[in-house]
Amino acid sequence: MGKQPSSMCPAFGAVRNLLRMEDAMPIVISSGDGCLYGHTFVAHFYVANRPIYSPGVSSEVWAKGSAFDELRAMVYEMAEKHAPALIPICSLCVSDTVGLPFDLLPKQIGNTEIVYVPLPAYSVHTHARAKDIVVDSLVWRLPPQRKTRAGVNLIGEIFPSDPIKIDEVLRKIGTHVNTHVPGPRWADYVAMVDGAVNAPLHPFYSESVKRMKMKQGLPFVEGAPVGIDGTYRWILSLAEPLKLDPAIVARVATEERDRVAAAISGHRLDGLNVMVAGYEGHEFLLVRLLIEAGANVPYLSTAVSSNPLAREEEAWLGEHGCKVLYGANFEDEIAALTDRPYDCVIGTTPLCAHAKELGIPAIYYTNAIATRSMMFADGAADVLALVTQTVAAKGRYDRIARFFAEDETALERTYTSWAPKIDLTEHLIANQAI
Amino acid sequence: MAQIRENIAQSELTSDVVNTPVRKRVTDLDHAGGDTGAMQVFASLRDANVVLDGPVGCHVMPAVAVINYTDAIPYLQNVTCSELSETEVTLAGTLGVLKEKVAAASAAGRQVFIVSTPVSELIGATWTTEHAHIKGSALFFDSHSLDDDEWKSRDRALLFLWQNREHFIVPESQSRLPKARPCVNIIGPTYGNFNSYSDLAEIKRLIAGIGADVNVVYPFEASAHDTQRLADADASVVMYREYGQSLAREVGLPTFFAPIGLEPTTRFLRELGAAIGLAERADTFIKLEKKTTLAAWQDIWRSTHSDFFANAPIAIVAPPTYKDGLTYYLGEELGLPISFSAYRTGPESVPNETVRETLRESSPSPMLVFGSINERMIIAQEKLPSRFLQCSFPGAVVRRATGTPFVGYAGAVWLLQCVCESLFDVLFANLPTSATPPQRATVPTKELMLDAAQAVSSSGKGQNSVISWTDGAKVLTETTLKRVPFFVRVSVNKKLRGEAEKLARERGCDVDEAIVREITAKYSPGN
Repeated sequence: MGKQPSSMCPAFGAVRNLLRMEDAMPIVISSGDGCLYGHTFVAHFYVANRPIYSPGVSSEVWAKGSAFDELRAMVYEMAEKHAPALIPICSLCVSDTVGLPFDLLPKQIGNTEIVYVPLPAYSVHTHARAKDIVVDSLVWRLPPQRKTRAGVNLIGEIFPSDPIKIDEVLRKIGTHVNTHVPGPRWADYVAMVDGAVNAPLHPFYSESVKRMKMKQGLPFVEGAPVGIDGTYRWILSLAEPLKLDPAIVARVATEERDRVAAAISGHRLDGLNVMVAGYEGHEFLLVRLLIEAGANVPYLSTAVSSNPLAREEEAWLGEHGCKVLYGANFEDEIAALTDRPYDCVIGTTPLCAHAKELGIPAIYYTNAIATRSMMFADGAADVLALVTQTVAAKGRYDRIARFFAEDETALERTYTSWAPKIDLTEHLIANQAI
Repeated sequence: MAQIRENIAQSELTSDVVNTPVRKRVTDLDHAGGDTGAMQVFASLRDANVVLDGPVGCHVMPAVAVINYTDAIPYLQNVTCSELSETEVTLAGTLGVLKEKVAAASAAGRQVFIVSTPVSELIGATWTTEHAHIKGSALFFDSHSLDDDEWKSRDRALLFLWQNREHFIVPESQSRLPKARPCVNIIGPTYGNFNSYSDLAEIKRLIAGIGADVNVVYPFEASAHDTQRLADADASVVMYREYGQSLAREVGLPTFFAPIGLEPTTRFLRELGAAIGLAERADTFIKLEKKTTLAAWQDIWRSTHSDFFANAPIAIVAPPTYKDGLTYYLGEELGLPISFSAYRTGPESVPNETVRETLRESSPSPMLVFGSINERMIIAQEKLPSRFLQCSFPGAVVRRATGTPFVGYAGAVWLLQCVCESLFDVLFANLPTSATPPQRATVPTKELMLDAAQAVSSSGKGQNSVISWTDGAKVLTETTLKRVPFFVRVSVNKKLRGEAEKLARERGCDVDEAIVREITAKYSPGN
């Protein structure tokens, strides 16, 4: 079996977020029609039914160097005709390798901001990184930070009602949500200059955070209000940088923590083995929830690369028996499927397909988890209910796996009988992956 | 009435099929009466001519108007009518006009079936002639049109044919040669049976697959004189539980029902194979199917398409075969939660008012509703986010291509595909859609920043990216979203939030209940 990528082109993480912006008209400079067709296909399937603009490319265009002239003409035409707030230029593999002189593009045309977003997929690696690049590119364009600042800037893709929920809790402790990025409007980014604290909710906005630190000088609060411990700590951590009343903050943090605990106690997963493989970044938070509900999660396989923002999460997971495996690939994950009797797999498309063949209930991370709120009590209950529901379907997955197996009358066909056992940690060490 | 029926005892063989109860009040009736059911059976025979003993409407409605939208047939050429007028109804009785019609049809060499209608039954009209004992003469069928529904009537009509099998003239050319291979009867379908063309094609494929021959497809591909040939088979397959089982019982062969779903189909093939000495062939065929027809099934199952099943509640309203078949296949085998399912016919059938009430109150709304035009109307009238898939009559449809079965392995693949595509449709309907460019930016970024600051420092309203929501608005949004199928809740949530906050920004206020109501009113996410 050849190497299977765990997700589609990483650059799509950026195209997706930009296409969702209602006052932006993204231009995608593709590497060729195969590339553009792929991005257009999936964007129209599940992002938005909106036009995707691109200059046509061919070997002649790249050879002659006419691509940049065409791009510049296109940018002027769109800015003058439509004056959107933002024209992001998504530069994929070939245009970025060729090195088009993006610096020569105007920064503004009228009221329109023109922003170059470098997305060479061969070095972007993950969706999460591509999203990081979008935030980074747009924030870097902002005017300097204001002197009078208030509220919390939320950074990270979350469920649409999450900012409202978070705002509700923040108002109880005397602050508020200032803005949330990636948001649907350019103004959401612009509002960042007014925030007093940056809160990256997922441990992958490392580049954005690095440059924000350089530019804004704002304090950062890590983590997210997910799970018992996570919710409590996140609320508490806001007290100091925002100079809030510690007593009030502690009271609200305790209240919310108790609510999450109550929600989790209604959805216990004791004794269940769950495998999680993600590439969005918030798989760290999911695993927290699963562990707090009693599940055994031996590994978290993540496409996200090891970075300072993930340290705290990694430490917490480590204390709770979960090893974080950065950059694990498909073969490693497949191999690991057989190292214990998994009750549920939450992972990437090919991993789930493989799990289903083995009769293990499996759901695709993006479809099932990234479309839900995990925050506070409601989010915990919702996600855990999904896992419970999935595990309960074991019989169905098993029957189907047996039906399609070579010999369906075999007495017991579980993970044990048809694949070599392997310990993922040992396997990765042997392959010098960790 | 009882007296009359005793006199024509031969049509009174016990039918296993139970009637749909007559309700005191009816809203949007979903089944036809006995005369229609009987006509659909007899007219299916190639050499038959049906004479409906009734006024012109009893002919035109079922045999011209409705048949055009159930079977895509412009009109049934072998159905005529006594065209009763006031004279016949009040004075003369129907015998005179019937004789003319019967003579005309018989002259064309056709086996005539006279079918009673409500009016003829009301006036006690029947058909008794001195020629009744002569082979090939017209037969009268009391359709109990006032009391029996179309399904029970089909069942009785099939039984009636069997009982009269010696009456039909067998052409000399018809030879009953010894069979080379085991062979199987297929009982049903008849005209006016939803999706039957595809179902029949699939059952034929399965029978051929295990190495058997089809003996007679009765009555759909048969003549009246084929009736006695039903006895020559090794087994019978009854297409639908709604009718045909009484005939199968009388024919007396091992009988099987057309299966819906993977396991039922596997069981069907094994049991049928075992009954007719083709057990091994059946096993080989099942193995082969897994690599061919069902390769598509396995691929879809392994894909992320199936991720949404556990969160895609569905509703099913259909006659028993499809209702139970879909409930098992979609609910048990695929794992789609069944919000509710209801019988369209039979003693446990559910009135439309109850279906409406249940659909309206379901939270979340079923993402897919399998039903008839009645469910389709309810979805539209109640502005439900559900998507409609037809699985029953009434409701105009063209289903003559034979690639859309519900039964057998091919049916399992087709239904799985339908569900996935419908989920795609639901998603499409809920994504942000716009070909128009965004609103023009009215100020440069620097000024935008000034606005933002003012708003944020005062009350958190206005240009700030997080607009305040009143408690009422939050509760209303929560209630609205709970009704939206999970699969698209995130998209609907984004849309709702975006539009509500846009309005609030324009009006310089918080998002309140009025705004949420305004947005949701113009928005029906499923359609």
